Amino acid sequence: MRIAIVLLIFFYCSSVSGQNKPLLYNVDDLPQALLQNPGARIDFTRHFGIPLFSQIHFSVGSTGVTAKDIFEDDGRNINARIQSAIRNLTSTDFFSINEQIEIVSFGWKMGNRGYFSAGAYQEADIFAYFPSDPAKLAFEGNADYIGQPFRFDDVSFTGEVLTVYHAGFNYKMDSKLTVGGRVKLYSGIFNVESTNNKGAFVTTETPGGVNFYQHAVNGLDIVVNTSGYASLRDEEDMTVDQAAAELLSRSFFGQNVGVGVDLGFHYRVTEQFSVNAAIQDFGVMFHQKDIENSRYFGSYETSGLQPLFPELNPGQETIPYWDVLEEELDVNLQDDKTFGAYNTWRPLKYNASIQFGTGKSILPCDYLISKKPRYMNLFGMIVSGVNRPKGPTYGVTTYWDRKINDYFRFRVAYGLDQFSRTKFGVMASSRFKNFNAYIAANDIIGYTNLANAHSASLQLGIQYVFKDL
Amino acid sequence: MSRQIHISKTIAGLFLLALFTSCFKDVDLSQTEDIQITPDIDVDIIYYDLNKDDFLDSDTGEFTAIIRDTVRLEYLDDSYMQDGLTYAEFRFRHENSFPYAIRSELNFLNDRNRKEFDVNYIIPAGSDTMISVIDTLHIVQESNINQVKKSIELAVELELLEPSKSLEGNLKFSSRGLFRLTF
Repeated sequence: MRIAIVLLIFFYCSSVSGQNKPLLYNVDDLPQALLQNPGARIDFTRHFGIPLFSQIHFSVGSTGVTAKDIFEDDGRNINARIQSAIRNLTSTDFFSINEQIEIVSFGWKMGNRGYFSAGAYQEADIFAYFPSDPAKLAFEGNADYIGQPFRFDDVSFTGEVLTVYHAGFNYKMDSKLTVGGRVKLYSGIFNVESTNNKGAFVTTETPGGVNFYQHAVNGLDIVVNTSGYASLRDEEDMTVDQAAAELLSRSFFGQNVGVGVDLGFHYRVTEQFSVNAAIQDFGVMFHQKDIENSRYFGSYETSGLQPLFPELNPGQETIPYWDVLEEELDVNLQDDKTFGAYNTWRPLKYNASIQFGTGKSILPCDYLISKKPRYMNLFGMIVSGVNRPKGPTYGVTTYWDRKINDYFRFRVAYGLDQFSRTKFGVMASSRFKNFNAYIAANDIIGYTNLANAHSASLQLGIQYVFKDL
Repeated sequence: MSRQIHISKTIAGLFLLALFTSCFKDVDLSQTEDIQITPDIDVDIIYYDLNKDDFLDSDTGEFTAIIRDTVRLEYLDDSYMQDGLTYAEFRFRHENSFPYAIRSELNFLNDRNRKEFDVNYIIPAGSDTMISVIDTLHIVQESNINQVKKSIELAVELELLEPSKSLEGNLKFSSRGLFRLTF
């Protein structure tokens, strides 16, 4: 219940970090490490997840503002704080929400060197840059911004809900190099994207001109593409059950589809030192069904209406200046609705890390070479990022990973990214016989007061992991 | 072994303690009721630039001392104006080089053609070398804001006063409105 409330508050704040999970990266006894890097070095021989519970992941973040920045209980007027926030946020600040729930997950060792893994998960990803100029225009108007353009390219957001079916293979080339790949089939449930918008609205003073100002919309071109939205919107009488059934049917390739791959490797440079890297979701979605795209485009300038003082006969109406203006606006600033297919790239994730082990121990748990040396303390650094419309988001995480014994390990991490420079995280993984439970929380300082947190993420899951030797 | 278990329990305990005691504090979410959006919109209204031809009948060439026209300002009836307008500030500027004084009437009319408010004044005579300028601010505070909300037309009337000299000259008019909205 407490977690549910916490998660609801996360969503209330609408605030995210990337989909990367640095606390699970390189954790060689968790199958989820293979989802981060299909070429990861692992030390289990079989696994299967408890359906719907093998990985629950939430990540939320906001680079520029926290709930406390807006709702602080300090006696000041909230509107002053909102105005301050709007003025401080820029169009490169962003809000993000990412959620993944593993539906099924399983895998097993194949031959002496290979490991096959497969499964399916549902993912929702929302990413929006702060629309700085349109927000200023809406909240403050143009009066204080004469001569300054309100740029529509500040409007940039993406959102998608999809189910991902995947199958991967991890292969140990030799004692140093492990490589892996994963093929993904995406079944789209919902998508919206509005990126690469153009144009600006500006009010300029015109000394010597026909009027005080000139108002101009220059090169407006805003496009909002959607798939999976129109049919839901048109179903006014749809019950929750019907909506759920509809969305479920889309999960099984009933709607739009896509393909992608993950690739990765792990290279043991020395017995103690290793490097590895991976990309995830190098893929594309083909949106062909249930499409509705809106486009707003054109240019127009005006300095107001000009009465012409026509000579009128008694009872004769004057020139309908306003109607003429509206007609000109309709001709020059147009909107269009189209239903054409479009493609979107999935947000490419990348991770690269170095790791150094100390505290050599012999444990009978390496699936390829028995009695292989392991290190009880692992120190590492991960660089991770996600491609986004205005460039990649990034983060750096350093960690100490401690294997207490074969049944319990934990990781403490410090990282910095665009959300926070004091990002402390903790991961714990425990095994009772072959039953594994893990939990990881990043930016844990923020948990002490979520209102003051720029980001928070949580992964947890339960599954069976076998280390037969 | 027991020490390791103790460490594990301690770490797990601290971890879960942080997780489950996390909270949302030092904030007052009831302030959402106080949130106001207050844009100030500064827009041109109408403009004109008249010369002697505008005071002559196009058929007969006879002088007409009074000319008038009406412009509908439909945006004053839009919902955002009707719901949110709390303050309006109009600026009117005349630049006169006609060698006559000119009476200017700006009448804001409602949809029954009744006057809600007006801004009237005499523009002194000017010349080519000495342009007469009248720059006026008309402020409508919240107590009278319904005058603006009910207005839908701007009726403009100009009268050349005692024209006995040459009709050479120009009358230039600029206007803008600053509308303060509160939602």
